[in-house]
Amino acid sequence: MEFKSCFDIIGPIMVGPSSSHTAGVVSIGKFVYDLIGDVPDRAEITFYDSFAETYQGHGTDKAIVGGLLGMETDDIRIRHSLNHAKHNQVEIIFHLKGTCTYYDHPNTVVIQAEKNGETITVGGVSLGGGLSKIFLIDDKKVDILLNTPYDLEKLRSYRRTSSTYIPLVGS
Amino acid sequence: MNIQSIEELIKHCEQRNKSIAEVMLDFESEKSGRSNEQIIEMMAERLIKMKEAIDTGLSDRSTAPSGISGGDAILMTEYQEKGQALSGSIVSDAMRFAFATSENNARMGVIVATPTAGSAGILPGCLFSLHHNLGYSYEKLVLGLMTASAIGYVIANRAFISGAAGGCQAEVGSATAMAAAAIVELKGGTPMQATQATAIALKSLLGLVCDPVAGLVEVPCIKRNVIGTSIAFAAADLGLAGIKSQIPCDEVIGAMYDIGRNMPRTLRETALGGLAMTPTGKKVKKRIFQDKNQMGYEK
Repeated sequence: MEFKSCFDIIGPIMVGPSSSHTAGVVSIGKFVYDLIGDVPDRAEITFYDSFAETYQGHGTDKAIVGGLLGMETDDIRIRHSLNHAKHNQVEIIFHLKGTCTYYDHPNTVVIQAEKNGETITVGGVSLGGGLSKIFLIDDKKVDILLNTPYDLEKLRSYRRTSSTYIPLVGS
Repeated sequence: MNIQSIEELIKHCEQRNKSIAEVMLDFESEKSGRSNEQIIEMMAERLIKMKEAIDTGLSDRSTAPSGISGGDAILMTEYQEKGQALSGSIVSDAMRFAFATSENNARMGVIVATPTAGSAGILPGCLFSLHHNLGYSYEKLVLGLMTASAIGYVIANRAFISGAAGGCQAEVGSATAMAAAAIVELKGGTPMQATQATAIALKSLLGLVCDPVAGLVEVPCIKRNVIGTSIAFAAADLGLAGIKSQIPCDEVIGAMYDIGRNMPRTLRETALGGLAMTPTGKKVKKRIFQDKNQMGYEK
């Protein structure tokens, strides 16, 4: 039961055009922003499957970058987020791939974000209707539904104590 | 309380002698700890956003950046105002409101996903047509949103609501089924009648593939939203007439899931099949993305 509330169905309030390819992706980007606690200096973004095929039409690229810049799903600045990133000197690199081997769903994205020389890898899946889940943080499989409360501080400290960081992606 | 199936939902309604909307309100309150008033207030905020999206869409003649959508809400309004619409004012108002919402969505305007952005025109289109033609209050429409959310909640957890996972049947199909139930309850029908309308609406859209031209949520998405409103009203009328679906609602949802799982990847929001791969569809894609492909993305 991943959908938990009437507001998972009626909502989110969001800028178009797609709840899964735009709003759900903003939330994944925003999760990374919240986890870092700031706008990253640099981000490598890998879109898989349906995301890779249709990201331009759905504004998926603008959505993920908007989230990384701290925007919410209904922020009308999302349509210009790529320019905002450039303006703020955030380096963004996109990769497009086929099926995601880390998670079986057509709407998956993996982000490697860098801040002050430290890199964090986050995998997210957009389940539909704007609901998203984080399935990967660094080399750890996680299961964080973004419609459920989660403890950011705990996630950060957990990450700092896991010494065996081996990047799974992008290598 | 748990709502894992339509059957279970109906059982709750009958045991408590409450509507689907009221049961969903109790369920949400129990799960979230919010009071009914808070939930109503949050839902009303979404209703207002829906109205704003309709108003924006009805006053905007511009085309979307792609050049393949926009302006049809106004054309439909001009036609409807002549009073000659064959489908009558309730359906034709719903159609122009759906146009307005979905065109606004295509312009990256603010909308409310119901249950998705690609299918965001149907439920607001139907509800605000009832407001416009039958004078249903906003308070009533909020209850309609609760009814619709209950149906969507079951579908989303038993099957899917995204085109990438299950095709357009999962988006426009689900939205139409949700709207049909909301219309029935607003019109005074029973929970059982509402879910019969749900089953009938969803059956009419089973197998619908997701084949957006150039991957944009415009062609055929916008007009499928528009037509979805007419199916929702037709299914609601059947439900209110006491007509039953021979296949129970939960089984229809199960069939939708099976069909979606068997749908080839090319027809699940990849823009690699169907209308997207027609000669015109390909031409549109080429025209729209010829500049953008030089942005340095690797493939």
